[in-house]
Amino acid sequence: MKFSSPSKLFGLVNIGLKSISKFIIPLLIISLVSALLLSPQDYIQGNSVRIMYIHVPSAWISLACFATIAFLSILNFLFKIKNTFLIYKSLAPIGLLFSIITIVTGSIWGKPTWGTWWVWDSRLTSVLVLALFYVAFIFSYKFISNEEKSIRSCTLISVLGLINLFIIKYSVDWWSTLHQPASIKFTGEATIHPSMLVPLFLMLCTFLLYCGLIFLMKYKTEIIRIKKKGLKRL
Amino acid sequence: MNINFITMDGYGLYVWSSFIFTIVVCLYVFIRTRQTLKKLEKDFKVEVENLSEEKSRDFNKSKIRREILASKSETI
Repeated sequence: MKFSSPSKLFGLVNIGLKSISKFIIPLLIISLVSALLLSPQDYIQGNSVRIMYIHVPSAWISLACFATIAFLSILNFLFKIKNTFLIYKSLAPIGLLFSIITIVTGSIWGKPTWGTWWVWDSRLTSVLVLALFYVAFIFSYKFISNEEKSIRSCTLISVLGLINLFIIKYSVDWWSTLHQPASIKFTGEATIHPSMLVPLFLMLCTFLLYCGLIFLMKYKTEIIRIKKKGLKRL
Repeated sequence: MNINFITMDGYGLYVWSSFIFTIVVCLYVFIRTRQTLKKLEKDFKVEVENLSEEKSRDFNKSKIRREILASKSETI
């Protein structure tokens, strides 16, 4: 594919970086104002509900990142597409970052809401396991020098991690847990008021732009790294 | 400034620590990623400049090389 040639992709990465850097700061300010000032308090949780505006989008992103990584590593295992390796290598640290944010902000939110920072319940534990899967995945491509072994290890972790994604999603339905069930579903209406839904989606957009920014910078770094290796071979 | 905005009815410590933690961690990752990219671009430029004449001629034919060197000054 001509479109996926490194030079074409490099041009697109630069355009993407420039575009994102124009929008991210204004969107961040709007999201913060709407999350901290304009959105109402919850009638039970009070102002602590504002933690939701970072906790929930971070959780969505960490799940989506792992699903993408798993899909790409399986694709790489089956078809040996070099570009998928570069993409998941650039994406995994972002997923780890957001799973850490999810755990930390969830723990902070848990203290005023449940009266404890942490409980070993199914939702919390499965999210912690997701973070560990990210660590194992990153270690696999970083420290296993044999390419074939590294790809196999990444694929295995991805498949096991995919099972964990289902456990995370349905843990609140399958087991009795402190964590509330999903308020926003793919099918059916959201049980959250639009005055809270708007800041939530604004924050999600800000986080997605941030992910895009970091991803493109990491992807660009990987391309230059490959080209540097090419220089040494000349 | 409304003091309630800071205290958040007693939840200020939890709300602000969550937001500040997220912003600090994201900023740290952004700075580290940007530093790595800039350093790599700089090293790449130095290595290209130090290539022998023959190798340099081969390398100048590559389009990606022009893209990398051109983008060096543009990185955000």
